[in-house]
Amino acid sequence: MARRHARVGYGLPTLLAVGLHVLVLLISVISLPASDREPQPSSIVQATLVSTETVTDQAQRAEAARQRALARQAEEQREAEEQARQAEEQAAAQEAQREAQEEVEEQALEEARQAAEAEAARRSEEAEAETRRLEEQRQAEEEARREREAEVQRRQEEAERQREAEEQARREEEAARQREAEEQARREEEAARQREAEEQARREEEAARQREAEEQARREEEAARQREAEEQARREQEAEEQRRREAEEAARQREAEEQARREQEAARQREQAEAEMQRLIEGADERVANAQQGQQAANDFIALVRQAVEQAWRIPPNVSSGATAEISVRLGPSGELFVAEISRSSGDTAFDRSAVQAVEAAAPFAELRQLPAGVQRDYRQFNLRFRPGDVR
Amino acid sequence: MNDAMSIPHLIMNASTVVQLVMLLLTVGSILSWIVIFQRTFMMRRARKAHRGFEDRFWSGVDLNELYREVPPEQETQGAEHIFRAGFREFNRLMSKTRSPQAILEGVQRSMRVAWSREEERLNLHLVFLATVASASPYIGLFGTVWGIMGSFQSLSMAQQATLSTVAPWIAEALIATAMGLFAAIPAVIFYNRLSAESGRLLGKYEDFAEEFHSILHRNLQGRSDAGGA
Repeated sequence: MARRHARVGYGLPTLLAVGLHVLVLLISVISLPASDREPQPSSIVQATLVSTETVTDQAQRAEAARQRALARQAEEQREAEEQARQAEEQAAAQEAQREAQEEVEEQALEEARQAAEAEAARRSEEAEAETRRLEEQRQAEEEARREREAEVQRRQEEAERQREAEEQARREEEAARQREAEEQARREEEAARQREAEEQARREEEAARQREAEEQARREEEAARQREAEEQARREQEAEEQRRREAEEAARQREAEEQARREQEAARQREQAEAEMQRLIEGADERVANAQQGQQAANDFIALVRQAVEQAWRIPPNVSSGATAEISVRLGPSGELFVAEISRSSGDTAFDRSAVQAVEAAAPFAELRQLPAGVQRDYRQFNLRFRPGDVR
Repeated sequence: MNDAMSIPHLIMNASTVVQLVMLLLTVGSILSWIVIFQRTFMMRRARKAHRGFEDRFWSGVDLNELYREVPPEQETQGAEHIFRAGFREFNRLMSKTRSPQAILEGVQRSMRVAWSREEERLNLHLVFLATVASASPYIGLFGTVWGIMGSFQSLSMAQQATLSTVAPWIAEALIATAMGLFAAIPAVIFYNRLSAESGRLLGKYEDFAEEFHSILHRNLQGRSDAGGA
């Protein structure tokens, strides 16, 4: 009857409402992670790590190898930098050397100029001596000619022959000096002059034959003229020779300069090589020191990173103890995380993801900035190995 | 689905304010569902009771007998309550006055009071449902805004902002809105349904009251006619 339905209590509706909410919650929990029936305990209970210092041989060795590789990389990098610096220094040195070279060249030129002057002086002395000698010769010849002429008065033909012989000897002498082109010209000239002289002589002969006394004077005159001409020719010859010698000297000088320069160059190169060697040795020392320091800092950094990652790591449940994941981490210049990707999967995607998330949660690694600048770049990329129990 | 991105995990990791908002919304949702169930059951019973009472009323039973079936101290509900209030007032006034006008007025007044009590009883807690329906989306939105605010604050301290660093925060914050909607949608639906139901029932009570009033009127009219004759 109506009396029985007098009141509707709140017990049953409360029960129903709570039941409904629990049902909704269960549906949302069950349908989303199919594998995780109880996600809350799993995500919290195993969050703390059992140990952070357990070290397996293999891990250690891998670590050592990795560090060695990193150190090598650092070394290479440093070397490249060193080389760049050396190149710069070399450039600077070359500049300096060029300057020095220029100075040296100037000096050499100066020396050469002095040498050339000395040479010229010597040559002029020689030329003077020569001229003196020639003068004497000329006097002797004159005397001879005078005698000859005296003879010519008696035996013109003989004198003529004699003169020819002299001329020939002179020609031979000239040929011996190997001044072919100019000599030829001179010879021709001389020949012409000779011819003239011969003609003159012939004319003289005739004249002598006709006018003996007058001819004597005239002949003398002619001889003097001839001598003059000869002298002129000889002077020309001399000058030419001088010029040639000078040219030769200049060439020699140039050669000498060249040689000096070459020697200088060689010396410079040697010096450079030595300096380079020295620098290399110094650089090597420095590098060794740097590497030690960098290694120390890098070890600290790696330890810090490892610690941060360990703290941020929440191992998912039901992970087999042998699971190992390797995460390749790339950092920005100030330590912020660029990429954290799985370089070697453990086969358990949940485990891999937890590792990546641990790295992401631990980022940024601001300690990177405390590393020496040379080492920083080497540690911007590294791998972390995750296994339940430790992070390597 | 990621373990870290599952809903319980996100709720556990949320900030305190967002957690409080979520708690509030959960409580609101549970209470609104309690109200929904309770009202639904109550409405169904009231409807059933009304149908039973009407059947009995129109079965031709003597009204005095019907009135005496229930002891006077027992509380009754619905149309029966209205009937009893009206009939009681009618009996009391019959012994005191002869004026049918006065009797009918008194009966009508007492029945209106009873109807008003019935209305209050039927609409009990429906206001709460309406409040939950209208307020919980805003509460959820507040939680979301607060959570995203916090996420951006912490983002400003982070060195780099990738989607994966922002995503958990936003997902966390959005859960609050989802919960607000989860509480609000059933509340709105059932508020409309239950208020319509109660309005319909109240209409039926009113109809019954009018019918009863006309019966009494007829009865009084006959008696005055008989008295006059």
